[in-house]
Amino acid sequence: MGKVKIKRKSTLIDMTAMSDVTVLLLTFFMLTSTFLQKEPTIVYTPSSVSEEKVPTYDLVTVLVSSADKSGKLEDPSAAEGKLFISFTGGEDSTLSSEKVRIMMLQEAVSIYNDQHKNNPVELTTGEVAEFGKINMFGCPFSELKYMLGLSIADRDKFLGNMTDPRVGIPIDGNKNRDGRLNDFQVWLKAIYNVAQRINNEQCAGLTPEEARQVQNLYASLMRQGKGIAVKADKDTPFTVVEQVFDNLQTMKLNKFSLMTALKSEDEPTQ
Amino acid sequence: MAQIEQSDKGGKKKKGAQKKMQIHVDFTPMVDMNMLLITFFMLCTTMIKSQTLQIALPTNEEVKKEQMSQAKASEAITLILDTEYEGNKPKVDAETGKTVHHIYYYEGIADTLFQTANYLRHEQFIGNQNREPQGIRRILRKKNEEVMVQYDLLKTRWKNKEITKEEFDKLAKENAADSMKTRPVVVIKPGPNTTYEGLINALDEMQINQISRYSIELPNRVDTLLLRHYEQVNGVQIIRPTVR
Repeated sequence: MGKVKIKRKSTLIDMTAMSDVTVLLLTFFMLTSTFLQKEPTIVYTPSSVSEEKVPTYDLVTVLVSSADKSGKLEDPSAAEGKLFISFTGGEDSTLSSEKVRIMMLQEAVSIYNDQHKNNPVELTTGEVAEFGKINMFGCPFSELKYMLGLSIADRDKFLGNMTDPRVGIPIDGNKNRDGRLNDFQVWLKAIYNVAQRINNEQCAGLTPEEARQVQNLYASLMRQGKGIAVKADKDTPFTVVEQVFDNLQTMKLNKFSLMTALKSEDEPTQ
Repeated sequence: MAQIEQSDKGGKKKKGAQKKMQIHVDFTPMVDMNMLLITFFMLCTTMIKSQTLQIALPTNEEVKKEQMSQAKASEAITLILDTEYEGNKPKVDAETGKTVHHIYYYEGIADTLFQTANYLRHEQFIGNQNREPQGIRRILRKKNEEVMVQYDLLKTRWKNKEITKEEFDKLAKENAADSMKTRPVVVIKPGPNTTYEGLINALDEMQINQISRYSIELPNRVDTLLLRHYEQVNGVQIIRPTVR
């Protein structure tokens, strides 16, 4: 009886084709991706039929924190209504996010110090440079120095703790009885001033016709209301959001956008 | 990893002939690494960009009474918004999984003498059913019929590629602001329990129904009066204690 000889085959599989595919996929993802920006808290925006995209450049985002959803807090609403701001600069490097942030900070601090002569905020150049690297922040001016002194990990932890009274930009006292602006309004004023300055610089020597073509922070802020976007959770009470609106109106920034997710017209709303 | 096999199966090699070599490079680790990178990029990217809804609010500065524009009573419609709560969370409908919002609306001037029947009516955000507007959308559409007829015509022209998207946007904007047509003035009044989603839903209806004149105000005493009376007549509780 002859034995059936099993031919030994090599188990090597040619991975070249596989490698080609993965490299292609990788290239696709690398080219199309925009990274998720680090935000201290997650909010789920309500959906709307508006199809206008959020601009990637020249944008100031105001984030309103939602009530605690993890169920760890006894009073979930304690985490609600904290304000955070993030600045995104222009498309080219002449007005990068870092530069815009530093300009905003310097302007805001000078407005604040002008109003609080007894306890001014004094930042070192190192701390100012550090601010340029932070995507989203939210704390009163009095805590700014403390926040900038923290390491990156500690800062994330600090800003992520919504129940900490030192987190979130104060917004109380809109009607400024004593003539002082609250911290949020100081930031809004700084945004307005800086945006106007940028616009003046870019439009210097241009005819009004040409100036209208200039796309920058100021132009998008004032003309189209695209420069400021308010991002809030769908379950946040209107009264909380209303306070933000009211402050924006007081600071004459009454044209702005609300961040939403997309849905179709036929979809039931309820 | 990489193997070089010499194919020297028997036979004498000719002198001077080049050795035939087969080169195998094992790409498995390369694929492994690529897969890891792909996973990383997939997890770190946002494919869906959020949308924005533009809004323009009036200034907070005092405006003199003479300078205020008055809307005709026949054009006005007031929506009082409310969100139902369960405990300290917005109530979610078990069937649709969406938050329950209510709208109480009246047309024209508030009828505080309650002489006309149905001075205050109840609606909900239902959206479209079988491509037909339902709920509050139907009410608002009826109010803005003249603009909507023209808008639908424009939309068909755009769908048939007779006009471009830019032209369509421009014409639709002109149409919505056409003062020759009867257009409603909508006052949105979010009650104390309304969530942000309720407001966005209402603003959405403005956009869907091409309503160019609307404002957001807080409910006043007259509105509470109407709601209280509605409760008495219909035997329901609609004014709930403020949750937050």
